[in-house]
Amino acid sequence: MRRSASLKMLFHERATALGSIAGVVAIIFLVGQQLAILFGLLSYMSFLVDNSGADIWIKTQNTNNFNASGTIPMSYRDRVMGVEGIEWAEPVVIGAGLVKLKNGNFQAAQIFGTRRPHLVGGPTRFYQGSIDGLLDGEGVTVDKLDLATLDFPKIGDIFEINNKRARVTAITQGMQGFSGFILYTNIEKARELVSMSTDRCSNVLIKVKDGTKIEEMRLLLQQILPKAEVIATPKLSKQTRLYYLQNTGIGSSFGLTTIIATIVGVVVISLTMYTNVLNKTKDYAVLRALGARKIDVLYIVFLQAMYIAIIGIFVGFTLLSMFLFFTKDSGLPSYLPWWMPIVHALGTILLCILGSTIAMRRAVSIEPATAFR
Amino acid sequence: MNNKPVIQLKGVARDFFDGKQKRRVLEKTDIEIYPKELTILSGPSGSGKTTLLTIMALILSPSEGSVIIKGEDVTDLPENKLATLRLKNYGFVFQNAALISALTVMENILIASTVQGGSVSKLLHQRAEDILKRLGMFEYANIKSEKLSGGQKQRVAIGRSLINDPAIILCDEPTASLDVESSTIVLETLKGLSEEGRSVVLVTHDPRVFPYGDRLVQIEDGKISSDTGSQIND
Repeated sequence: MRRSASLKMLFHERATALGSIAGVVAIIFLVGQQLAILFGLLSYMSFLVDNSGADIWIKTQNTNNFNASGTIPMSYRDRVMGVEGIEWAEPVVIGAGLVKLKNGNFQAAQIFGTRRPHLVGGPTRFYQGSIDGLLDGEGVTVDKLDLATLDFPKIGDIFEINNKRARVTAITQGMQGFSGFILYTNIEKARELVSMSTDRCSNVLIKVKDGTKIEEMRLLLQQILPKAEVIATPKLSKQTRLYYLQNTGIGSSFGLTTIIATIVGVVVISLTMYTNVLNKTKDYAVLRALGARKIDVLYIVFLQAMYIAIIGIFVGFTLLSMFLFFTKDSGLPSYLPWWMPIVHALGTILLCILGSTIAMRRAVSIEPATAFR
Repeated sequence: MNNKPVIQLKGVARDFFDGKQKRRVLEKTDIEIYPKELTILSGPSGSGKTTLLTIMALILSPSEGSVIIKGEDVTDLPENKLATLRLKNYGFVFQNAALISALTVMENILIASTVQGGSVSKLLHQRAEDILKRLGMFEYANIKSEKLSGGQKQRVAIGRSLINDPAIILCDEPTASLDVESSTIVLETLKGLSEEGRSVVLVTHDPRVFPYGDRLVQIEDGKISSDTGSQIND
């Protein structure tokens, strides 16, 4: 009975109830879409690392993200290949490219070259063509999302990259990087495009055999290659993300927006719930006079906060899902890891309770004698 | 006397602090309220009659003196226990009914029994229906209380006061702003409840109410200026 009474008392003041719900929706949607974009950008930052399929990366020392890595000798690959427990070790070439478009403009790109025939770390999702396109001597891929930027190239079109010829042999889907778009190619073509000698590569990617402990293998490889840095893929991914978060202002920018959206939401919830209680002062006084204890009144207002939270979360996540759906194949990075909505919803419930504390304090302070005035 | 008092106020006084000084709004008062009796507390505005009623209601604690309910001294009981005592022993009829406008007639009655928690049993629901039938309000059970007339609201308020089968019903100006016909229905209902064995205490300054009382207590300047005494229990 108290539950339904609480709900009806809440929605009897429709404007304030909707105001409170709007506060929750603001928190869920605004913070949620900020987080989605942030996580989307984070996934872009370390996309090549996360998509590599490797357990361990070998790179130059003293660099704090893989994009800033220099070159290492190809001989490193040969030195580790014979180590027991390694399934494969493949060199890759990563570098910057300047693409000349049909209209004469230039666009910056990131070139990722992988060795034939395994094409480790290569693209996995295709809009047109397949990974076989990289087997072509001068073949490069472009991504569907970058077609407009690149003046709508088609398979077979010729590009000029760093003043060298390349041919579009496949169009990938959702293979997005953080520093310019990614052009996949084979390692020979990549060396040609970024002017790297055949005895050098950017990194060596290692896959360990099942049953081999990655950390033990990493330590062993580090002993074998003391002049290189041998790093586990998750650590390199995290290191790269952290580098960009700390050095580009993205972290503080998103953090500030998130904090502001949260504060605005909590303030809206506080004010509207407080107004609701104020407008119902007589009702709460009557309930107290009839025999409600302070804890009973607190329970009613707490329930109202929960109703607001649940409805707001539902509406907020519906809007957020629509946002994620419609931006899925757009240039806007948006991605939420599976655990984020749960954390976001629980956090919002806590914020809703926090926002309702002023209303709760007001409600329990209402004297039953007020019913007689 | 053939009945024990349900409410005894012994040397009860009440002070209020108005921000600058302490002001005594109710002088030391002794009064006993008996079952089967409709007691009217009357007096001009600001005389202290509502203060006396709220002390009887265990809502306002006295600055001095003691409150005894059914033989038990409850003066120093904590707030939560007083709330439970009110729930079990008291029914309230407020000025202008003071129904919860968001709720239906039936819900207004049921909430008075479940305000400390618990579900609505079939028995409780049946009891609420019986009360509404008795008050001629059954057909309005599912109507929002805000849609009722003043007289109808007050009848529902009486229904709400009865749901826990209380020994004491306290009424604060129950006929204020009611027309003559509605006032008569309300007063006859309250009179009937006192005749069933309940103690009904009614605060009013409407002289039309006086004929319904078994006892008239006049209050002026925070003191009982006259008391006809119990007509039934003497």
